[in-house]
Amino acid sequence: MTENNQNKIKKSDILSWNKVTFDKILQSNDMIPENFRGKISLDPDKDFVLNSQIGQNLENICPTNAISYKNTLESISLDVGKCIFCGNCQQDMPKLIKISNNFDMAKKRKTHLLEVFPESVPFGKTYEEIGDELKNKINKTFGRSLAIREIDAGSCNGCEIEISALTNPIYDIEQFGMHFVASPRHADLLLVTGPASKNMEKALKIAYESTPEPKLVIAVGACACSGGIFGKNYATTGGIDSIVPVDVFIPGCPPRPQAILYGIMLALDKI
Amino acid sequence: MNNKIIEHYLSKLEQLEFKFKRHVQNNNEIHIELEDSSQLIEFCNILKLDMNLRLLTMIYCDERKINHAFSLRYLLGSDTDDVFLFVILFIDKKHAYFPSLSDVFPSSIKYEREINDMFGIQTQGDTTLKPLLLHDFQKNIFPLRKDFHANTELNYTPRKFKFTPITGDGICEIPVGPIHAGIIEPGHFRFSVIGENIVNMETRLGYAHKGIEKIAENMSINNVVFLSERISGDESVANSMAFCQAIEKISQLEIPEKAKQIRLLFAELERIYNHFGTLSGILNDIGFSYGASRLEILKEYVMQLNEKLSGSRLLFGVNQIGGVKIDISNTSLVDIHSMLDNIFQNFEKILEHIQSNSSVIDRLRNTGIIEKQTANDLGVVGLSSICTGIDTDTRKNHPYGYYSSINFEQTPRTYMEHQVKLQKRIGDVLSRFMSRVDELRYSKKLIKSISNLETGEINVPLESKLTPFSSGLGYAESHRGETLHWIMIGEDNSIFRYKIRTASFANWSIIEHAVLNNIVADFPVINKSFDFSYSGNDL
Ligand code: SF4
Ligand code: SF4
Repeated sequence: MTENNQNKIKKSDILSWNKVTFDKILQSNDMIPENFRGKISLDPDKDFVLNSQIGQNLENICPTNAISYKNTLESISLDVGKCIFCGNCQQDMPKLIKISNNFDMAKKRKTHLLEVFPESVPFGKTYEEIGDELKNKINKTFGRSLAIREIDAGSCNGCEIEISALTNPIYDIEQFGMHFVASPRHADLLLVTGPASKNMEKALKIAYESTPEPKLVIAVGACACSGGIFGKNYATTGGIDSIVPVDVFIPGCPPRPQAILYGIMLALDKI
Repeated sequence: MNNKIIEHYLSKLEQLEFKFKRHVQNNNEIHIELEDSSQLIEFCNILKLDMNLRLLTMIYCDERKINHAFSLRYLLGSDTDDVFLFVILFIDKKHAYFPSLSDVFPSSIKYEREINDMFGIQTQGDTTLKPLLLHDFQKNIFPLRKDFHANTELNYTPRKFKFTPITGDGICEIPVGPIHAGIIEPGHFRFSVIGENIVNMETRLGYAHKGIEKIAENMSINNVVFLSERISGDESVANSMAFCQAIEKISQLEIPEKAKQIRLLFAELERIYNHFGTLSGILNDIGFSYGASRLEILKEYVMQLNEKLSGSRLLFGVNQIGGVKIDISNTSLVDIHSMLDNIFQNFEKILEHIQSNSSVIDRLRNTGIIEKQTANDLGVVGLSSICTGIDTDTRKNHPYGYYSSINFEQTPRTYMEHQVKLQKRIGDVLSRFMSRVDELRYSKKLIKSISNLETGEINVPLESKLTPFSSGLGYAESHRGETLHWIMIGEDNSIFRYKIRTASFANWSIIEHAVLNNIVADFPVINKSFDFSYSGNDL
């Protein structure tokens, strides 16, 4: 019966909107005119190439500054929350911007209203989402907090910079219940960087042995995973797994803070 | 213009009563070979006294294949003129040792230790040198000799390292490291203390030794650029720039003007984020975490800017031989400028707060003082030396790349020199803190002085085959100071010898003097105020 009703409604028949109950709108798109400017998204065609002219144009054309083009990034972003759905941009660049008549645009977080092309988030989850998930896991296994000890086994200090960035107010790893401790004896988890230089072999072993069980070891960076650019030579051991057992390997040279956080989360799955 | 300086130096050299062969290469390098090598010490002494030269590094090289001898190049440099002097000595079977220069340049000891470790050649008469880089390695292993293979598997052989014993009533020893409490690199410090006061400290480094100089000999030169970026992760631009410039010098490759500008931009951005980091670290070490956090945020902003520009938060992959890989448009330049304006507005506010906080200033003032004479003797460079009034700014003294187009009348370093003369600055942590602040402002000024990028290419290919066994010196000023890369080309565009002298290597020994008579609890902040790289030292 509802289907019959729907069929009768012509797409351009605006007056008929009055007859539709709230329930039905949610069920079907058909009743919404095709030319309704609903869900707007950045959905490039295969042959679409972004250049600065297109970017600038789109930016200028948008009356509410919902679209912004970043030259440095060569990327374009669309803030759906600012959009007044005037349709200018789609007209100008149908290859990139698609406006459909869907309306399921509501998001729980404001940040989710922002779309970027090319996508700059490395994986589906945001930093906060990973962190929150991690916090739950820590609560389950380690009871509220995870103590991390960082050990430099001969890195170039690039990985150290990224690990210490985790503690800065922007990434602020403590909000998820993790903190760096001063001794391996207080640690649940060791973050090890560097190709494990021969000179650090002994110290790394001792540090591992003095960490209480249960313990986790994460190899951070290309060096710790495989020796990285230094490889295995007379002075390096070619990856820390030749010295201590490793639970998770985080590639990258250096891995960005988000990637390290993600790696810590994977490690917790192991317990 | 440089020709005049070189001629001036040559005529001065001619006036000396020494017989030598000489030749000039790469514009600013004078190479000298004494006829009578026993005169070396005397000769260097005169260079030091008469020409005001200082020892920059000692380059040992296994040239048995080409010259049937080891060669040793003493590299001397001037802090006022753009000139480098190489005094070459050949060491063959007849004398398997070389004279120690430590009476003339005390800083030579660390180079002698390095040579002893890596080549197994000792200084005349002295057999008590402590090992520097190789800890528990087999005896009689000399990695940088040509007959040693980089991939040789070595057994772990415990060797005892003797720290100088300090004895007396009430003296205790505190060993620290190699794994430290914070997120920092590995190194061992041995304190001897009376009560809380440090009466002696000995450092033992080398824990991060990765064989960089050796493995470079087996890599193609384009890949060595990546290796040079990883000498010390936070100095990636400076080190890769010095390496690329050395190769460009050898091949006489002129890189495009735009590439020079972009190199300068990245080099200064690198300086900025690192100085923010160090300032924050200093504040953190004295427990002023409010200021530390605020500055950490600024550092993060600059690192994010780095990433937007280059794809790497640490600016890896910016340089290549013949130019740069990353193009910057004029619009991005405007973005950089406005972003820096914002960041620095913030910075000045934070700084005001810090400077008006007497507990901060009290902790920094009179802590970790170094004397000018000590700094001079130990050959300290860069920001660690400027706090005593020694100005060794490679950007100004040996202008390279786009820095040659910049007018260096009033740099923060000359300003600091003046402050030291007025005794407003005394080589303590506070003066190092303030010189970093000055450097930061100056870096911003340098970036803003580029208002328009040139048009055209950003890199040119290295087409020519490099002449085997030609050599060149590349240099750059990292945020730590003078960085020198000396390269000798081998056959088929390979690298025959890659000698790296980072500012950290030149500077590390000063810390043993800076901590004297300070309390142990002040060691972290003194160490941080110098901001040495362990990896850059150990290679
Ligand atoms: S990016 Fe490609 S070329 Fe570079 S290291 Fe990775 S796999 Fe190799
Ligand atoms: S993985 Fe890369 S950044 Fe990390 S220590 Fe190794 S070389 Fe440095």
